[in-house]
Amino acid sequence: MKPLLVIGLGNSLMGDEGVGWHVAERLAGDPRLPADAEVVCGGTDLLRYADGMEQRRRVIVVDALHDDAEPGSVSAWEETGGAGASACQPFPQLDNGQDNVHCLSAVQAIQLLRMSVPVPITLLGISIPCANVQSGLSPELAARMPAILERMLHELA
Amino acid sequence: MSKIVIDHLARVEGHGGITVEVEGDTVSNVTFDVFEGARLLEPLVRGKRFDEVAPVLSRICSICSVAHTLTSLKATENAFAVRVSPQTDLLRELMFRGESIESHALHLFLLAVPDYLNYPSAIALSADKPAVVLLGLRLKKLGNLIQETIGGRAIHPVNAVPGGFGKAPAIEQLIELRSALMQGVADSDAAMDLMASLPAADFCHCDTVYAALRSPSLDSYYDGDEVMAVSDGSRAIVHATDYKTLTNERAVPHSHAKHSAFREKPFMVGSLARLTVNPRRLTGKLAVAKKRLKLQLPADNPMDNNKAQALELINDVERALEIIEQLLRAGVKDEPPVPVHPRAATGTAITEAPRGLLIHSYTYDAEGRITAADVITPTALNAASMEMHFRKAVEQSAERDDAALSRKLQMIARAYDPCISCSVHLLRRQ
Repeated sequence: MKPLLVIGLGNSLMGDEGVGWHVAERLAGDPRLPADAEVVCGGTDLLRYADGMEQRRRVIVVDALHDDAEPGSVSAWEETGGAGASACQPFPQLDNGQDNVHCLSAVQAIQLLRMSVPVPITLLGISIPCANVQSGLSPELAARMPAILERMLHELA
Repeated sequence: MSKIVIDHLARVEGHGGITVEVEGDTVSNVTFDVFEGARLLEPLVRGKRFDEVAPVLSRICSICSVAHTLTSLKATENAFAVRVSPQTDLLRELMFRGESIESHALHLFLLAVPDYLNYPSAIALSADKPAVVLLGLRLKKLGNLIQETIGGRAIHPVNAVPGGFGKAPAIEQLIELRSALMQGVADSDAAMDLMASLPAADFCHCDTVYAALRSPSLDSYYDGDEVMAVSDGSRAIVHATDYKTLTNERAVPHSHAKHSAFREKPFMVGSLARLTVNPRRLTGKLAVAKKRLKLQLPADNPMDNNKAQALELINDVERALEIIEQLLRAGVKDEPPVPVHPRAATGTAITEAPRGLLIHSYTYDAEGRITAADVITPTALNAASMEMHFRKAVEQSAERDDAALSRKLQMIARAYDPCISCSVHLLRRQ
């Protein structure tokens, strides 16, 4: 098992919302990917990957971020995976509301994972302009993909 | 006039919300806006070859990717008159069971139970009652394991292909699954104990029409081509090819999803509908559990869908074990998929996704490329019924406190286990 795990979240049919998925797909085929890193193109349910996180040194989760920043900007949040911290919010700058009737957000899932997976998790949010039904990224975000990949590789180095 | 607005059920701006307008004691208007992506995604498969369709449409939803994949394959196989092997039928049913276990565990433990116990979220619940959340996570993990073992990966299964399976599971993998399911029996029993201990949630009562797959075995999420609709003791059968006579869809101005009505009445799909249509599944241990939950069928309370999911959780674990025993007894053959010979034809499939009836219908040209596609999800089918129950809940409530009514409406919405938000998954800054 490789010590680093990268999980790209998103729905690839929902345009820019699937940016995490697209980043993971590109990263997995990138020759610059460090040998100690494994990349998974995920869906929208981070809890599915709980088993795969166990015994890793570090997990990096990539997801779309809805904010006012320039599209393609990458924001990072660290979570140390300390035991007994389940009541604390790991990323206070991010919305933690139960606003989803069908599955948990990445923020909520990471909080629950703390109960059973004591692995440090880094959450990388990629700012997107909008989420619409389309099979690829918007030209605006696609143009930023080389810079986003550079940032990902820097995070993995 | 007062207005109750719940605008954060979905994660797409401006969609997935509930609005209820009340004038005096009269509910003047109820709208539920569903962002129902499936309909908008259908153009993405036009022109695709028959073997490219399921991998695209499985991406409609991560939670229901098995149901979308297998319903897509079934529609394609129906179009080309392909009959898959009994082993394929069993493996597909097993994948459905895994998805149902995973989805019901997620919904009951992490979304519904916090409501009943007055916690704002599963995270808050985990601080006080970690065992409850860990039980849910264990069951969810079991469902994931089944899907990953048979489907070939955690989501968007790759092993299931037109005509059969690209790669069948090894005997050792099935033995490992059997061991995990033995633990799952105890966990699903514990889930029943929890559900039986929850306070009652009676927010509205009204006659409800139920519709579900009528499988020849009475207990399949996958096998069968007929829908049974049950209303006031009467039953009607609709064949898959006539699905439009069941759905009678009409566009409504306030929602992306069209509304469905059978004989001019909204209908409910999902676990409660499945148990109502196929009540003979409820024997032995399930009959005892049904009595503990005080579940009467047909039910007149949509909150009973949560009880029905708990019963299905027990049944899914038992049925998955039976299928694995069957496969182990017969021995898993390394059989190639049945050859597919494309032709100009239409194929329709109906199955039971975790949250209800799922319909895929495709028209192919002679080269096996899609010329038209229709995907109708359970959440779209339920939209009109949800509005009906929201209206009844407000009309039948003695309370006029907006916060209390809002909580009831959200719990009803969650009981339907709708899939309005899975299409997107965004982080948001505070």
